[in-house]
Formats: sequence, structure tokens, C-alpha cells
Amino acid sequence: MSDLAFLSPGRASAEAMWRSPLERALQGAPPAVSDLSLTGKVEIRGKLPKSVKGGELVRITPNRGLVLCDFTKTVELLEKLSKDLFAIDVSASLAGLSVRGEAVMRRITDLDLDALPAAGAVSHVQAIVTRDGDSFALWFAQEYSDYLAEVVIDAHKGLHR
Amino acid sequence: MRLPARPGERLDRNREVTFSLYGKPVRAFEGDTFGSALYASGQRIFSRSFKYHRPRGLLCCSGSCANCMMTVDGVPNVRICAEPVREGAVVRPQNVWGSLEHDVLVATDKLAGPFTPVGFYYRTMIRPRWAWPLYEKFLRNVAGLGKLDKQAGRANRYDIEHRRAEVLVVGGGRAGREAARKHAAAGRQVVLVDEGFVDPLEGVDVISPGRALGIWEGGLVPVDAGRVLYRFRAGKIVVATGTIEQPLVFPGNDLVGVMLPDGVRRLIEDWGIKPAEQAVVVTVDEAGREAAAALEEAGVQLNGVYDLRRERAREIVARGRGGVLRSVEIDGRKISCDLLVMSGGRQPAYSLLAQVGARIEYDPERGVFIPTDIPDGIEAVGSVAGEGLDGAVPAASYNGASGKGKCFVCVCEDVTDKDLKRAIGEGFDSIELAKRYTTVTMGPCQGRLCHVPSIRLYARENEKDEATIGTTTARPPWAPVTLGLLAGRPHEPAQRTSIHHRHKELGARMMWTGTWRRPHSYGDPEGEAKSVHDSVGVIDVSTLGKMIVRGSDAAEFLERLYPNRFGDMKPMRIRYGVLNSDAGRIMDDGTIARLDDETFYVTTTSTGAGAVLEWFEWWNAVWGMDVEIVNVTGALAAVNVAGPRARAVMRSLTGIDLSNEGLSYLDARDAQVAGVPSLILRIGFVGELGYELHFPSPYGEHVWNAILQAGEDFGIRPFGLEPQRILRLEKMHILIGQDTDSESNVLEANMPWIAKLDKDDFVGKWSLEHVQERGLQDLLVGFEMEDGKVPLEGAQVVLEGTRPIGRITSSRWSPELRKAIGMAWVPAEVAEEGKSFLVTVDGGFERATVRLRPFFDPEGERLRS
Repeated sequence: MSDLAFLSPGRASAEAMWRSPLERALQGAPPAVSDLSLTGKVEIRGKLPKSVKGGELVRITPNRGLVLCDFTKTVELLEKLSKDLFAIDVSASLAGLSVRGEAVMRRITDLDLDALPAAGAVSHVQAIVTRDGDSFALWFAQEYSDYLAEVVIDAHKGLHR
Repeated sequence: MRLPARPGERLDRNREVTFSLYGKPVRAFEGDTFGSALYASGQRIFSRSFKYHRPRGLLCCSGSCANCMMTVDGVPNVRICAEPVREGAVVRPQNVWGSLEHDVLVATDKLAGPFTPVGFYYRTMIRPRWAWPLYEKFLRNVAGLGKLDKQAGRANRYDIEHRRAEVLVVGGGRAGREAARKHAAAGRQVVLVDEGFVDPLEGVDVISPGRALGIWEGGLVPVDAGRVLYRFRAGKIVVATGTIEQPLVFPGNDLVGVMLPDGVRRLIEDWGIKPAEQAVVVTVDEAGREAAAALEEAGVQLNGVYDLRRERAREIVARGRGGVLRSVEIDGRKISCDLLVMSGGRQPAYSLLAQVGARIEYDPERGVFIPTDIPDGIEAVGSVAGEGLDGAVPAASYNGASGKGKCFVCVCEDVTDKDLKRAIGEGFDSIELAKRYTTVTMGPCQGRLCHVPSIRLYARENEKDEATIGTTTARPPWAPVTLGLLAGRPHEPAQRTSIHHRHKELGARMMWTGTWRRPHSYGDPEGEAKSVHDSVGVIDVSTLGKMIVRGSDAAEFLERLYPNRFGDMKPMRIRYGVLNSDAGRIMDDGTIARLDDETFYVTTTSTGAGAVLEWFEWWNAVWGMDVEIVNVTGALAAVNVAGPRARAVMRSLTGIDLSNEGLSYLDARDAQVAGVPSLILRIGFVGELGYELHFPSPYGEHVWNAILQAGEDFGIRPFGLEPQRILRLEKMHILIGQDTDSESNVLEANMPWIAKLDKDDFVGKWSLEHVQERGLQDLLVGFEMEDGKVPLEGAQVVLEGTRPIGRITSSRWSPELRKAIGMAWVPAEVAEEGKSFLVTVDGGFERATVRLRPFFDPEGERLRS
């Protein structure tokens, strides 16, 4: 069966220049907003395990989850997970944005910030949102990177005028 | 005139603020509103009425009426009686031709009465018909409230914030604060909003000013806080919106100097202003008496207090000069005054409750409308629920006293009692019809001051009671709100490929394709197209929809979805597919590459990706097959290298066998390209040898740069959508949604080879069988123009004579072929090679010749080279 190598950025040679979709958009961004895109992401489907060794499991539906891991370990984790589950490397699909501060989040989403992780709209873009204290991580389709970065930076600006 | 400082006033007399009216400075204190500061400076006329341009002064001082609307810093229709002052603000009157004191359009009041009865716009100024554009221009210039500077752009920043509250209390008066305290003491998270300024409350998050605009499903309550719209989701909503003072209806009740009791009280107590020298009070409740006491304390000479509960007056007439109050006559007795306080009682501010489904019932004993049957999750407390409201008048409805002069029921819309009586006489005898015909309650106050008076008048004139007349439907917003606030920040999601910034660096002119930003061209569309034919070009096609379809039933799944055959595809081969709806109409197209027995890689159009994914997932749910569908549209960048030198360019980027035997047309290969794992598809949309590379999107710029570098010696040029459109048209490749519409099918779109009607079944098969049976009617064909003129896309195909029989879907000038070419839908009898038809061009007709085979390289030799 095809290993879908063309989906995995982790299989590129060292000379190939990886560029985060958020790199340019976050130039000059406040410290409260940072790039998480260089994170391994594997989507798994089927009977989800309770946890995944070597990764953080975010349950999206009862049968679908997103595993976040060290980017350099993605291919290894993908192979491991593929033994029992449908697993696919979505590292390149999703960009990741870290946002510090509930106030900023309230300006960009109406998700219940006390009931995370959750999936829903962030300024009209579907995202998976997780929380660690006052820090939030947004995982969303990478092609919206420039747009969402601009939205988050603008929301931050609106609160700190 | 300012009174000495008093306890409880809202002013900070140590902090002065200066703003301007008519360019002249006006001094104020922090805590003033623009209205209070202007009143203290001696200003009495604040606006001109909507229709008659009558002078209007402060009336309510609570932001309910329209009497004080002015333009502040370019924002029209600001109720300055409630708008806090700010340093340097520029305040301008609106709706005047001249000044507030001398408005030319007051002639409407003096002379135009016969021409402007209620509903006049249905009757006057319609003859002669040729003059209507003149009337329309005139009316548009004099109508409306305030002017917008169309060139101003976004003058203000408005934000939207999403909040949650266990308990949301609307109204910061006594009852609202008590309710908030009670819930906070019980450990709940409480938010209190009030449209005015209220003091903080321990344990409660207070937003003031904050105006609740309505109550929607799911406990959604948007709150207008000026520059921020708070969208609250509340577990419980407590409505404590209190009551609204009502005016009395009598001749001259709109004169400058006629005010409501709370308005007077605020001037004195909140802003330390002596409102007048001599006052008269006419009241139906205690509020008027309280205002009288406040006036005396402020040193105003009280020339009379008339309590209509004790003695009903037959005639009340306010008289003035130049629209400003000079005296009031009560039953023939003339009393001098420059302030007339009128109190017509208080009505519960029930609108939010009515919006959410409460029933509004009339209490004849107290003369008020009370909300009942309030839905679960919502509570009404305080005077809005009728608590503490005494009977206002002995009889349920107070008759507007008679007398000569205009007697306003609705000051916002300049609707008089005569207008309402005329409407009844014309048959508009229900309150809902009255509203629509006369516009009563449709002005800026939205019925706060005029709804009940209009109901009372209708009850009297129709000899019915208020309960029978009823109320009109309450709809949000509860108060006028700026569109800017509702819009919030200009968030327009845009999708960009990972190569986007390189396109801009290369001088691309970007365009929208759905929500994608794509290069239209790099400045020379015809040159870019030519370059693909002459040597080699590269285009970013990352926007294509891309899906992995994997599972033991994957082949069968695609067989059922598409009219094509896929079950017999060998691994690493590609087919073009056209997706049908279940009505057999063309939905989308793309390529399907089989990667192994159980895995397919499907591409879609850029704007169709979302719909196709949904379609696939829907049918997968229906059929319950062993298939997983994964959207990898953003995961992969894609570029197409096309042209006779494409192979030469690719040779320096990858080590695989690129010969025609090693990688034939419609083959797929896994390979490293510039060190990046890629899927190479040997396909083309532009009629030349082409390689489409699909690889992880973070390497978009790396691969793009590597291709440009590798192609430098061959004169490689990037090309955009416009040259691509020229090239694909030369090959007669269709564009879904441009060359097809919701009725197009593959048979009539000249792709009969797509539909394998010998398959057991596929989505939409029944419809194609029907088309085949009934015969083809309109067909999609190519054409070339005899004289070289390029018709507009959408131009008509015309039968000899004049009857339109078809339309042009695509047309371009081909620099390669030196011809004007295109595609069009024409009747089957015209759709034969060499036949001709007429096309509308520049107001005339030009001849076109039908072509059924691609204009460029019809045998596909260059594609397969």
C-alpha cells in the first residue's frame, strides 16, 4: 500500500527549506502571539486509544483524533499508529498559532473557553482550540495563516490601544 | 445656567472639556453629555423635525427620542443628550438647510401642509411622470436623518467580543441591582448592563453604558457598548428595563421648552443646570410632582402645577414664537413659561420581553401594558413587570386635549393626531396598518414615546379599548445601532497558497477565485501564454481541492459516485473525472489517480473542494462503505510545469525516468523533487507537455524557486490564471461553472465518453439515460470568429434574423493561433463542424464558425510528447 510519502514534510531532505505558513504573517507580532506550526500532526480514525505515547491526543469526535508530537518524530509515530488505526500525516495541513490571553480569544471566537478542547469557528475559520492556563493553541487549515494571524494581531491591538 | 455643585451630580468640575458646535468652542465638564453642555451654554434648539423641520429641543435626556440628534465627529444621528463629551469633538447639526435657528425648509411646516398629508408619497409628486426624477432627487436631499461621508472609509474601530454569563441582568435601576446582588450572593457569575451610567456593584461585572439590542435563541443578547458589541450567551436573563415616560398629546406639545419630567430632573441633578426661569407642570402621576419639587429647589419659578388626576383639563395648548415655548393655555387661562413639564405616565419598557415571546396585556386599571407568560430562562423584575406602578389616570385613557395647532403623536416622524384620524378614515383601522401607513412608531424612538399614545387615539376614534387595539410586533434591535458595530472588524477570510508571497515578489496581479487569492498574471498574460507554447512556464495550482480516498471499497465508492469507470484503473494511472449531481448535472471535475489497490488521490476544482468533500462524505454515510476520505487540500502545494522544455527543466530537479516511456501521459510517480517528497502527475490543462507536482505545502517556495532556477536557461516564466484560461480554451477544456451551469450534463457538454452507461449504476445515471432517450437539445461547442473580434462572455448566439438561441460561455484572443476563439451553447442542429451562427458584438452581429475539435494540437501530440 502506498505510504503517501508525498504528504509527509518530515521526509524531505535536510537541504529542502521548510517555511512555516505563519512566518511572514507573524513578523512584528506581539510576544503574546507565536507560531506552533512546526509541530507534528497525525490524524487518527477508529477506536481511539486513551492516550498516545510520544504525543498529545486531542479528541475531535468519538472516532477521530488529532495527535500532536515533536515534528522530527512524526514519521515514526505515523508508522506506529498505522498498525492499529487509520492514520495520516496532516502536519502540512494545519498551521498552529499560540495566543496568550482570554481577552484576545473572546474577540475572535464564541467557543466556550472553559470547555476546551473544542472544534469550532474562529473568525469564520474552522479550528481546533486547546487551552493550557491562559495560553490557547489554535490548529487550522494552513491556507488561512495570513488571514488568522492578521485577525489575532488586530484583536490584540484593539485591546491594547 | 449652571447651578452650584451638588451632591450626586455626574460632573467633575475640576476637569474641563472643550468641543465645538458650528466651529465655535463650547465648554463642558467631564461627566457632561454634549446635550447637557450645550444646554448649559444656552443652546435650546437641538434639531429640526423630520418632515416639517420644526425646531426641537431637549425632551427626554435619556437617549429615547430623536430631538437632540446631531452629527459628532462625522457620525450622524448621535443622541447627544446621552453621549458623553470628549475633548476636541466636532458637533454639527443635521437635517437643516441653513442653521438650527434659521432653517429654510421650515417652509414645509408653513406652506406645504396640503401637499404632505399622511401617505403623501403615494399620491403627490407622481404627475407628470417625466418629472419624477426631479422630485426624487429633491426628496432624497431633504429626507433622511444625517449625512454620511461616502469617502470617509472606516472612521471608527468597532470590535465584537463574545462573552458568557450565568446571569445577565438588563437594567441597572433599583430592581436590576437588587436582582444582580441576589444572584451574585448565591455564587453565580453575574453581568449587569445598563444603557446609561450606573455605579459599580460588588461581585457583579457592570457594563455601562451598554444597551441590550434584543434577546435571541440560546440566550443570545448582543449589547451595544459604543465601540464594542458584546455578544452575551446567558444561562439566565433578568429583564429590569423599567418604564418609559410618556408625553401628553396636545397642540404645541413639540415646542422647544416642552420636556418630560426625568429630562428636567437629569438637567438639575446630574448636570447641575437650571433648566428655565418659569415653569408649568401638567401631570397624570407623581413624576410630574417630583419634577416640580426639583424645579423649585433649583430656583425656577413655578407658575402652575396641574394634576390631571384631580382635575381633567378640556383644553391644553402650548404657544410659542419661532417654535420656542412662550406660554401655555389651560382651559383658556394663559400662563407664561419657558418650560412646560408634561407627564403622561409611565409604560413598562417591555420590548425585549415581547421579542422573546412574552404576551403583552393591557391593564385597564392602571392604564399600562404588562408583559406576561414570560418564557423559561427569562425573568422580569421591577416596574417593567408592573411592580410599583400606580394608576396614572382615573379613566384608562387620557384624551388628548383639543385646540388649534399641530398636535403630535409621534415627534420622530412628525405624525399628528390629524394624520392618524385621516388614516382611520381611509380604512387603515388597525394599529399595524396605522404604523405602516403613517409611519407612527417607525422613527428613531421606535415607539418608546408614541406607541401608547397612538394606541389610545385609535381606541378612542374606533370606540374600542386599548386591549382590543393591542400593540404592534416588537422586533430587534431594541435601539438603533450602527451598522459598523454589527459588522465589527472587517474579517474576510482569504485562502493563500504557500507560494503566495513569491507571486507578489514576482509582480503578480492577484485576484479572487472564490476565497482564494491567485495570480491573475505577472503583467503580460498573452506573453505568458505564448511562453508556455514556445518554451516552458510554471503555474501555482495549489488551490486545487485534493482528497485521499482509501479503503477496501474505495474503487467501488468512486464507481458509484462518478459516471466514469475507475475500477479497472491500474495503480499509478490517472483519469479525468466529471462528478454528477443526483439529477445528472455536472457538479465538478478533476483528476483521479490510483495510488494502489485501495488508495485514490482525487483532485477537484479550487472553488468546489468544500462541496465535493461534503458530497463524498454524505454518500459515504449513506452507503456505509469501507472508505476513509481525507481532505488534504491545504496539506499539499501543487505546481504545473508545462511546455516543450518542461522535461528538460524537470531533469535537473528529480532523478526518476522522465522519458515518454518512463513517465507517459496520465502516469503518476512518487519522487523526490528538489529534495522534497512529491507525487508527479503527468497531466496537462494547457495543451503542452506537462508535469504537475504535488508536495507538502511548507516546501512551496523552495520547490517554486528550484523550478525557476532550473528553468532559467530555458526562459521559464511563471504564468497566472488569465494565460491559463487562454491556453485551456485553445484545447477546449471546460471550466465548471463558466462553461457549464446547473442544467448542464456531460452528454450535451460534448463529453459523451465520460458517461459509462453500461455500469450498473452511478449517481445521476437515470438522468443521463433520459437525456440519451429524448435526444440532445443544446450542445457545448467551440467556435472561431470570422473577423477576429472577441465577443463578451455571456453574449448571445442569435439565429439568422433576431431570435437568441444560445450564449457564449468563454471567449479569448489566442496569441498563438492569432484568432478569436470561444465556447458556446447552441442548439443541436447548429452544433456541427463548419456551421455558422451570429453572435452579438458591440451592439451588432458577427459571424462565428463551429469547431468541435480543439483549436490547438487537436491530436494531442504535444501533450503526449
